Amino acid sequence: MNKVLKYSILVVVLGLALYNSVNIEPLDQIKKSKSDLVFNAASYATDFMSNKIETLPAINASNFLGNISDDLENYTKQKGKKLGISDEYSFIIEGEARITEIEEEYVTVLLEENQELRISTEFIFGNAIRDGSGMANIDDYQNTMDFNSISVELNNIVRETVVPSFKKKAKIGDILYFKGAVTIDIADTQINGIKVIPMIIKFSD
Amino acid sequence: MRKNIVYLIVILILSFTGCNSRTDKAHELKKMAVVISTLNNPWFVVLGESAVERAKELGYEATIFDSQNNTSKEAEHFENLIAAGYDAILFNPTDSEGSVSNVKRAKQANLPTFCMDREINSLDVATSQITSDNFSGCVALGEYFVRKLNKKGKYVELLGLVGDNNTWNRSKGFHSVVDYFPELEMVAQQSADFDRSKAMEVLESVMQSNPDIDAVFCGNDAMAMGAYQALIAAGKADSVMVFGFDGAKDVMDAIKDKKIVATAMQSPRQMAFTAAEMADEFLKGKRDFSKKTPLQVKVVTQENIDEFGAYGSDN
Repeated sequence: MNKVLKYSILVVVLGLALYNSVNIEPLDQIKKSKSDLVFNAASYATDFMSNKIETLPAINASNFLGNISDDLENYTKQKGKKLGISDEYSFIIEGEARITEIEEEYVTVLLEENQELRISTEFIFGNAIRDGSGMANIDDYQNTMDFNSISVELNNIVRETVVPSFKKKAKIGDILYFKGAVTIDIADTQINGIKVIPMIIKFSD
Repeated sequence: MRKNIVYLIVILILSFTGCNSRTDKAHELKKMAVVISTLNNPWFVVLGESAVERAKELGYEATIFDSQNNTSKEAEHFENLIAAGYDAILFNPTDSEGSVSNVKRAKQANLPTFCMDREINSLDVATSQITSDNFSGCVALGEYFVRKLNKKGKYVELLGLVGDNNTWNRSKGFHSVVDYFPELEMVAQQSADFDRSKAMEVLESVMQSNPDIDAVFCGNDAMAMGAYQALIAAGKADSVMVFGFDGAKDVMDAIKDKKIVATAMQSPRQMAFTAAEMADEFLKGKRDFSKKTPLQVKVVTQENIDEFGAYGSDN
């Protein structure tokens, strides 16, 4: 009897130990929690483009062109945003303008102060929006590719949503409001070649 | 009484020895170790030698260690450096994942590590990581590639080491541009491990099934030179455009001679100098460092080659 009691207690203890050492969870739940840990650049970029750009501070485009033409180095260093050690500075600019030319890669506009600016419609690449807006900090990303993917996704949104309707509606002489991002390399300045990556385009009625 | 005298003498000897060693330590130069993934590639030789040069200029004793592209060898170096009492490590990792544990061990031993050129997959262990902005460099190179090929043609991509983040940052930067041009067709994408001879072999093999390519995009300059050699052997050096990445001397010369179309200049000297200066600041008490410091990469073409020197040196 004593032996039976001893074995029974042993079995119960072993059973309890085994039960507590194994944790069974549905596979779907595990997969979901893993994917929650993976950075989703697409949804981060979508949230930014849908909810943040209307209120994003921007420099008046005419003032911007005037200032970089007067004192490029000081102005870019004071007002521009750059990543790490670089000669490239990015800005968010806005303004009202009239379309003067429509080309394969650009729409050229004339600002109120008679300055010309090109809005890109084909080569929508680079980090102008991410860096000009300061929306993300590289120090927060363990893998730099996650940080770079933000730019890829922002550019995709511009390419898929902003540019098609802009190209479809644009006619020479149209008046529009734009907000966009530009990058300038102070060691390789081509002020006349500044390209704006458009974020918002609104045509006047 | 005699025993007491002996003890006294021993204590005196020990305390003098202790004083001497403390005085020696105070007069000893602080030491920086420069651990490089491989010295079998001239670009990394410049990186390592520049780090040693700047550390010495700043008043440190500096020694270079070659990991021979082997994470175990790198681990041995770290163990030895910790035991030898080095004060800082200027580190070019062999593997973004595999090198994390080595840097972690150094951190546990209060030895600051400054990564150069290649990043590791951790934000917590290295004091700072100074890397080239590979992605943006390849975006710019990709735009130039698209324009040189007039937005159409067949091309081959030679990748670097698949375990290295730089390989993918470069490739993804390039594809973030080129993939939007539907008439540009990639007929093969293969790794040649950043190695010149391997690149030559891989391209020779690819050209057997794809003889009509228009361009080769290579993840570094050593592979670009290997690809160019393969094209010479196949009699296609004049009709196929080669693009590299690094700004190595032989490729810069080849761009001048109109043999290679373009490369992206990343400066190993600037990177090494920045790492040595940061380590110096750390050893002088600074603790607030950016975890990552990317360095701009510029596209070097046959049109602007005269503005650049090899490896980012002044021309």
